[in-house]
Amino acid sequence: MESSQSYQIDLEVFQGPLDLLLFLIKKKKIDIHNIPIASITKEYLRYLDNKKKINLERESEFLLMAALLIHIKSRMLLPRETYEEEEGDPRKTLVERLLDYENIKAACKILREKEAKQIKKWKRTALPRSVSFQELDFIEVSLFDVAEVFFKLMLRKEKDGIRVIKRKDFSVKEKKQDIIRYLKNYSYLDFLEYFGSQKTLEESMVAFFCLLELISERTVIAVQESLFHRIKVWLRSEVKE
Amino acid sequence: MKKDLKNIIEAFIFVSIDPLSLDKIKDILKEFPDKEIERAAAELTEYYSENKRGITIIQASGGYLFATQNEYDVYIKRLLKHEKKQKLSRESLETLSTIAYHQPTTLAEISAIRGVDASHCLKTLLEKKLIKIVGRKKSPGKPLIYRTTKHFLAYFELNSLEDLPSKEEIEKIIAEKYEEE
Repeated sequence: MESSQSYQIDLEVFQGPLDLLLFLIKKKKIDIHNIPIASITKEYLRYLDNKKKINLERESEFLLMAALLIHIKSRMLLPRETYEEEEGDPRKTLVERLLDYENIKAACKILREKEAKQIKKWKRTALPRSVSFQELDFIEVSLFDVAEVFFKLMLRKEKDGIRVIKRKDFSVKEKKQDIIRYLKNYSYLDFLEYFGSQKTLEESMVAFFCLLELISERTVIAVQESLFHRIKVWLRSEVKE
Repeated sequence: MKKDLKNIIEAFIFVSIDPLSLDKIKDILKEFPDKEIERAAAELTEYYSENKRGITIIQASGGYLFATQNEYDVYIKRLLKHEKKQKLSRESLETLSTIAYHQPTTLAEISAIRGVDASHCLKTLLEKKLIKIVGRKKSPGKPLIYRTTKHFLAYFELNSLEDLPSKEEIEKIIAEKYEEE
């Protein structure tokens, strides 16, 4: 009762009821093998009361634990009529779960350190972006394929309800340079992604015509890794510099 | 000839994109005795760890692999125009280590251990190829069985599952206070 006010911690920071329970046990410096169920339950419920925004799914998990705690307490209070041999401390299962969870949490800490170290080491697998298209076995895509994907994409956009309100002119020349700049930066352009991110229909159309022109004047090449794969556009290397 | 052996192994590791195991090297280089191959491989990794270079040989997932030194990370990112690599979220990591220690395991078991539903995390971990489905349990509902993958080992630079944090290491962390992040 003395310090609960100073510990105003959002439930969101806890991974789940076990996490919260462990936190309370540490905070109160309680021996995990001898948990005073009544006081820990009280404390636990106080945290639930503090909740402001947890979704129902999460909340139910926390409530389930509250029910379990109360159940354990009641079993400890009630005199048993029959003593089954195996039945020991009603807290036993919970303690085992807590210890198990504590181990996992500690292992996570070690694994997190390993991850941090490893994530900074680059391996040869991580280099697809810098490969030029000649080295990869691609299938060149015809203009018709490109057009087909474009119209499908536009139909999909129409369903999403795009509205062209702004009136802004897009120059073919600028847009072409735009695409080339993009390619120089990112090596390739993912067809769906690129047109998916265009804001208006007009802009998409202009960009699309530019792309067709770039393909036909052989500045860029449209390829697929295999049939029916995503179409990617690469700069032909001769114009790279 | 012996000097060649070290170079050959080095070249092998260089062309390998996945960790290259000692067994595979032995299998290919039948003309060399196993002992010599082991010694040459050990000398080679030692050479890389002693003479600091831009790259080093790491042992992960039961094999050798070339990797860059981690302190050059900043520069490499610049070259590759790559943003920060995404770390696993706390819940994903927790789910993953639950699976690692309790495998083979099911969604129900994982959720029971963590006290929260883990189905969402499993999807992410499957996508990242850190875990895989190995079958269905012969129990009511026939739940799917999950295991960690080779990529999981490589991701944490572990050679095998035996390299997972040991009981002693875990106890040490608990004694110290384990608060993560």
